Amino acid sequence: MLDYKKEKLLLKASNINLKYDTRQILRDVNFEIFNVTRPDVIQGQVISLIGRSGIGKTQLFKILSGLIQPTSGTVLIGEEQRPVVAGEVGVIPQNYILFKHRTIYNNLKIGLANSGRKLSENEAKDIIEDHAKQFDLQDHLKKFPAQLSGGQRQRVSILQQVLTGNKFILLDEPFSGLDPIVKDKVDELLMKVSHLNEENTLIIVSHDIINTLALSDTAFILAQEPGKEGATITEVVDLMAMGYAWRPGIKADHTFLDLVLNIKSKL
Amino acid sequence: MPTPKVKAADFFLPFGRIGKSAAGILLAGELILALVAWQLSGGGLLPTPSRVLTSMTKILSESYFFDNFFSTLGLVLQAMGLSIVIAMVVSYLYLIPVFTPIARFIMKCRYLTLTGLIFLFTLLTSNGHSLKISLLIFGIVPFFVTSLVSVIDSIDKAEFELCKSLRMTNWEAWWEVVILGQLDQVFEVMRQNFAISWIMITMVEGLNMSEGGLGAMLIKSNKYIDLGSVFGILVIIFFIGVCSDYLLGMLRKWFFPYTTFNTRN
Repeated sequence: MLDYKKEKLLLKASNINLKYDTRQILRDVNFEIFNVTRPDVIQGQVISLIGRSGIGKTQLFKILSGLIQPTSGTVLIGEEQRPVVAGEVGVIPQNYILFKHRTIYNNLKIGLANSGRKLSENEAKDIIEDHAKQFDLQDHLKKFPAQLSGGQRQRVSILQQVLTGNKFILLDEPFSGLDPIVKDKVDELLMKVSHLNEENTLIIVSHDIINTLALSDTAFILAQEPGKEGATITEVVDLMAMGYAWRPGIKADHTFLDLVLNIKSKL
Repeated sequence: MPTPKVKAADFFLPFGRIGKSAAGILLAGELILALVAWQLSGGGLLPTPSRVLTSMTKILSESYFFDNFFSTLGLVLQAMGLSIVIAMVVSYLYLIPVFTPIARFIMKCRYLTLTGLIFLFTLLTSNGHSLKISLLIFGIVPFFVTSLVSVIDSIDKAEFELCKSLRMTNWEAWWEVVILGQLDQVFEVMRQNFAISWIMITMVEGLNMSEGGLGAMLIKSNKYIDLGSVFGILVIIFFIGVCSDYLLGMLRKWFFPYTTFNTRN
């Protein structure tokens, strides 16, 4: 069995409802995210929100990041459980939006500049270069976003949010359109971000069940209940309790693959 | 990599790829054909290319041409400069609700004809130069604002969301995404709309001929039915316009190098 403890509450979504005109998109979405600690390991949380395309994942993503307000319900974050405000949760959209008119260095600098830390030009440069090295971006700092591949832009996008100092980072479909080798690299990258800080919490919104589950410690299944309009959390999968969390090579485990098939059948 | 051989059928296929040198040959060939057709069909009322060329050479060798040319260039640059500033201010303020109706009204002014407003502008301005500048600005700004607002409207909403997630205020997001992020597009709009001002200038110069200008030259030549000169001036105006377009395109690449890259997947 894995040795871990669930400690303080980091995020709580309560009774989230979202309606557009009379159409119910999300219905009574409730879930909690706790800080998970492991002995001798500094590691954050990796949570997945799994659901079919068009089910309302992106809308929930925007609500969790404070970019849109739900019709009713609340999202509370941090130790003091305050209502989420845009800017407190980092967002990595599916198409890795960056400022096209800024070089990679300046894109990262703008993230750091909004972190609230008072830094001299040299200190900022050192921090950016150090992080760029960790994320294998050191050779691309003078380039513009259009000169980078999709995978490289994704790394810049994640690093930009890390430099802003956000502990929560939401990723919308990070595996979308990537080949299997690049998907493995994204796995490594996200684990790296998770290991940067105990309270770092990555929330992956995806329909790619196998890759998302393999990274996560907890998964929430977003689906529609029979006869009810609007998506809600229909199941919580505790991958830590099941012994699947933090295990490299888990994608080859046949019991894990059975779990993937089981979840697939419920979407 | 070896250049693929261009087949004759490629010239007639939609999306046919013919390469740079073949495209150059095609352009030259079509130009020669057009000139030959013009030469053969001309000779009556329509001056032939050789007559136009003779007139052009004569016009270019006269000192008054350069006086008129610089007069036109000065007027167009002054009008363009003022129009850009006014259009940028109006377009950037368009996202602030209180200014939105004003921007929308200015856009609709594209449908107002200048001819009907000449009397009003004559009353409002103190001299011929101010009259020409005012008319040009009034004519250009609605087109500029329409293009700029269309650029602003096409900004991906995710860019504003990125700003919010980076803790920027609304004003900071506006500065980053609308002003800095779209400067290259402003330049492109300016390049595209330069043609409008170039077309309008000849008409406006006809209203007050005391300062001369290419428009005034054109009207005088028309008056005396000197069609060789008329066509000569038209060809000169056309070439100056094309050269300006090329120059502005080069400047855009130089000022905004990121516009030359295609986004990789």
